[in-house]
Order: sequence, then C-alpha cells, then structure tokens
Amino acid sequence: MKSLREIYDYREMIFSLVRRDLRGRYKGSVLGFLWTFINPLFQLLVYTFVFGYILPNRMVDRYYLFLFVALIPWLFFSTSVSGGAGCIKAQKDMVNKIYFPRMVLPISYVTSMLVNMLLSFIVVVVVIFFSGIGFNFHAILYFPIIVIMEYILALGFALIASAITVFFRDMEYILGIVTMAWQFLTPVMYPMEYVPERIRPIYELNPMTPIINAYRDIFYYKQVPQLRTLVMGGVLSVALLVIGCIVFQHLQRHFSEEL
Amino acid sequence: MKPGNAIEVKDVTRSFKVYLDRGKSIKEFTLFQKRRKYEKREVLRGISFDVAKGEAVGLIGHNGCGKSTTLKLLSRIMYPESGTIEVAGRVSSLIELGAGFHPDMSGRENIYINASIFGLSKKEIDRRVDDIIAFSELEEFIDNPVRTYSSGMYMRLAFSVAINVDAEVLLIDEILAVGDANFQRKCFDKLREIKKNGTTIVIVSHSLDQIEQICDRSIWIHKGLIRAEGRPKEVHAQYLDYMDEKRKEIEEKERERQIALGNIDPEEDAKRWGNGEAKFESVQITNADGEEQEAFPMGGDIYIKLGYSVKAPVKNAILGLAIYRLDGQHCYGTNTRIDKHKCFDLSEDGTAELVLKDIHLLPSRYILDFSIENAEGDPVDFFREAAQIDITSDTEEVGVFSVDHEWKIGEGAHGADK
Repeated sequence: MKSLREIYDYREMIFSLVRRDLRGRYKGSVLGFLWTFINPLFQLLVYTFVFGYILPNRMVDRYYLFLFVALIPWLFFSTSVSGGAGCIKAQKDMVNKIYFPRMVLPISYVTSMLVNMLLSFIVVVVVIFFSGIGFNFHAILYFPIIVIMEYILALGFALIASAITVFFRDMEYILGIVTMAWQFLTPVMYPMEYVPERIRPIYELNPMTPIINAYRDIFYYKQVPQLRTLVMGGVLSVALLVIGCIVFQHLQRHFSEEL
Repeated sequence: MKPGNAIEVKDVTRSFKVYLDRGKSIKEFTLFQKRRKYEKREVLRGISFDVAKGEAVGLIGHNGCGKSTTLKLLSRIMYPESGTIEVAGRVSSLIELGAGFHPDMSGRENIYINASIFGLSKKEIDRRVDDIIAFSELEEFIDNPVRTYSSGMYMRLAFSVAINVDAEVLLIDEILAVGDANFQRKCFDKLREIKKNGTTIVIVSHSLDQIEQICDRSIWIHKGLIRAEGRPKEVHAQYLDYMDEKRKEIEEKERERQIALGNIDPEEDAKRWGNGEAKFESVQITNADGEEQEAFPMGGDIYIKLGYSVKAPVKNAILGLAIYRLDGQHCYGTNTRIDKHKCFDLSEDGTAELVLKDIHLLPSRYILDFSIENAEGDPVDFFREAAQIDITSDTEEVGVFSVDHEWKIGEGAHGADK
C-alpha cells in the first residue's frame, strides 16, 4: 500500500519517461513523429500484399484486417515483455545512484508501448473506415476495457521479466525466443476455430487468448466480446499483476548490488 | 525517531559478496551453485549516528572505508543487512547529476525529466523552473538541445536542478567540482543558504576544507566503524595525522620493494636526491632567541639555520624552500632566484639562514622541504620533509593563510541592542 502511494507521488517521473521515450525516439529524423504511423501502415501494406495477392487466404475474409487488428495488440504485449525485460538493466546508472520507486521503470516502459499501440490503432481505424467494413459503436465501448486488461497483463509480465533479468541476464534473450513461439500459440494469425479440440485447453490457459479474441470481436467481427472472454481476461491479468508486484518487491532490494 | 532528528542510523552493517569465480558455464551455474567462490567483504561493521534537523555532517575516511556505502544506504539505493536507518522527509541526492537527461531534448525539457526523477510533481516543477534556469545561467541556451551544451554547461544545468529540489535532507557525494570557479562559489553559497533554511545535509568529500566550511560535525569512518566524530577541525587533525602515518608506511614499503628489486641503492634516502655536489648537513628551526622548537604562534617569526657541506663547488647555486600541509597541500614555495637574491657559489662547507617573518599560515602542522639546485635548475640536494613545524593560534579562520583584513560596516547597520 505504501509503495502504491509512492508510485503515485512519482507519477510525474512516469509521464516524463514516457514523454522522453516517445519524443526522443524519432528526434533528429526528418519525418519525426510521423514514423509512429508510417511503421504500422507499411506493415499493413506488406501483409495485404502477401496475404491478399501472393497467398490469398480464402477461409478468412479480408485476412489482412483479420491479422492486423490482432497483430498490433500482440506486438504491444510481446515488446512489453521481451523489451521490458531489459528496462532496469538499461537504466543501471540511475538505479545505482538515485532513489526512486524501481517499479517506475517497467511501468514507464509498458506505458510508452501502450501509447504506441494506441497511435497504431488510429491507423487501424482509418483503414477499417476505408475498407468499408464499418464499425459497431456498441462494441467499441469495450475497447478501453480490453486495453486496460492487456496493459495490466503486460505490466505483470514486464515486472517479473525486468526483475529477473537483473540477476539472470540470459532472461532477456530467452524471452525473445519465448515470445516468438508464444505468438504462434496465440490465435493471432488464425482463428480459434482452426485449433484442434484436443489442445484447446492449453489455449484457454494462455492469458493472451481472451484478449486477442476480444480485440478481434470488436474490430473485425463487429460484435460485443463474450462476457466469459472478458472475465477470463480480467482475472488472469489481475492475477499476473499481483504476482508481478510480489516478485518485483521481493527482488528489488538487491538490484543495486547486482548492477 | 526522536523529534529533533532528521536521520537515525543504528548498528548498521553491510557486506558485499565479491565473486572470485562466478561460474561461467551452465554446468557450473546450475550444479555447483554452492561451490562458486566468493569473498565476503564487510564494508560497514556496525555504525550508529544521529543527525539533527538542520545539521550538516561530513563523512570522511580513505577510499573503501565505507563512507560512500553509508551515503547509499541513507539514500535507500541499498539496504542494510542488519540495523535500522530512518530518514525523515524528502531526500535529494547530489550523487548522480543529470539523471535521465536526453541529449536531443532541450534544456527546459530535461529540467522536467530530471526533476521528476527526484519525485517532484508537474506543479512543483513549474514553480521552480525559472529559479533553476536563472541559477544555471543558461537562459540563452535553455531551449537548445542538451547535446549542443559544453560539459560545463551540462553540469551546471544538472546541478541547478538537483539543488533546487527543496529537499529536507540533502546527500552530497564529491560534487563541488562543477563548472568554473565562479559557479563553484555560487554552488557553495547556495549550499550555505539551503543549510540556513533548515535543510539537513550529509556530505562525503575528500576536501576537508569544504567540509570545514559547511559542516557542524565530521564523522570519520575507518574500516567500517566510526573512529572519531566531533568538530570538523578536531576530527580532521586526527585524520590528517593518521593519513600521514599511513603515507609514510606506504612510502617505506614501496622503498623496500624497490630495494628488493635492485632499483634503488638502500644507502640512498627516499626523501633525498641530487647529484651530491653539496648536501644539507643540519636543519635547525629556532625562535628569535636561538632555542630550537617545533611550535610557533601565528604571527611569530621562525628562524631556520641550514648547515651544508660541499664536495664539488656549485656555481650560482639556488637555495629553495617549500611548505606543505600534511594532506599534501602545497602552501608556499620560493627560492633565492625567485627572490632575486644576488648570485652566490657554494664552494666550501658553511651555513645559510632564513627567517620567515610574521608567519601567516593558519594553525596546523606543516612540513618543510629544502633544496639546493645548480644554475641549470638540476637538483644538487633535494631534502624532502626536512623539518616539521606546528603553527598555533586560537583563530577560527579557515583556509591556508590568514589575510590581513579590516571590516568597515556602513551607516545602515546599527549595533545590536543589549
């Protein structure tokens, strides 16, 4: 409880670090902040070309969109976990010399990834608008809920990953591989219906499954996510955040010696 | 915690594991975890001290004594193994300056980032930002990217943020080496002002002078324990004595090593070198009555009589004097050439006399070196640590020398009413 209060006191530090990350990233480049939009746009163009023209998928209508509305949230999650793993190690000078609640670092990292995802979603919305698929505004009301859920989940994992990486540097690289495999074990590139009945229980345990499905419900199928999906996602996310906080609190006392 | 205290440290211990063999392969890492060799280095072995609100305390000690670790524990970067540390109020540390600076962002933006790391809210920074910019003297450049700053400008900006945080407890680690002399002066004045406003300050520094100027108390940490604490002047005198002993020991050891290696002739004195054409044979330090003594009052005269022997005549010889304080501070030096003394040759054994009149060195122990050089400036006889003197006085002045001075207080000031 005390540490929550403290993180609130340091809220300006979180905002500053997020601002620094977002504004500093493309500083000096000609297009600057526009890159935030160009990146996802070109990704979308490539997928459209490959899956619409070279390898047309006839099972799923407008596959590029099907893929894209899930891929962007997935990339938010996977970079938060694999990239976030190194966020404390990367700031070792600061951790070694100044006191601040250490949780600020993973929180800022994940928050900055979140802002990036939201900006990418602007591209998604524009593309959906021009593709003529249309929106279900009732479903879109659920978007913020899903985003918060995913944020909580990503933060939980990032807390654990960043704390462990301080002591065990290989973790960062291991997570790079794990998230890659994880992507294929989450219904990002294919619909849930393709998954054989026998191994579905594994998918049910994957906390990212309900979240990805919910995003797709909202933007692709234009329907309100099922209550079951929402509850599942919410429970798993909160559970992971709690575990993350406990692990992090436990390990953070020894950060400065290890760095 | 007692109400008047800002910091309470009780029986704090801290050690570090220093791995000698970290276990490089996976096999070693997983199977032989227990076998990995490390040495436990006890850095703090039970120290306790309190710092009252508004007090300024200096931590001194030689490298590795645990003073920086103490500061890290106070700032909560590390935690003690046993014992407790309590600190009341917001802590700001001048340990790492410019944390979080982004080179591509402007000075102003970086002020916001840096200050937020000290835990300030946006509003609090808004209130201070003008003061910070004014203090840094970077008004013209404040909207330029920090990467265009010189290193001096960078440090000035960083220092300005850290010192304007308005912390209740300020921790400082060797910082007053920022910018040019003017800016250092300004930082120093700012520190005094902060102290006057009731901020508690803890400084780690090798500069005993700086500690004497700011601190009310010094704590000498030696091998993880408090060896002495009290008025800075008194503690520093003990510390300097100890350091002098230590230095002599090290010099002696180094000399023995060099002798063992055959690099120097054991007959030769480490504190003396020269071509040997002439040599000091005796050094007498006396008062006006010719009585030998070591302690002289400030403002008194010191009579020095140097006896020398000559093997081969030295043409146009130069006699020199250097005065050092025990911490190695070079206080004064001169020679007969600098003083434009008329030329002389050393052709046979004799004596030279030197009177140091109305000596203005501040109370401390000083070391005197003497030298004979030939006309080319080559050493004929360099005699280091030839003598020691103590200057005594009850003055409270600080620094190296006392400067003749006089105050004239203008009409505006009135005498205090009794």
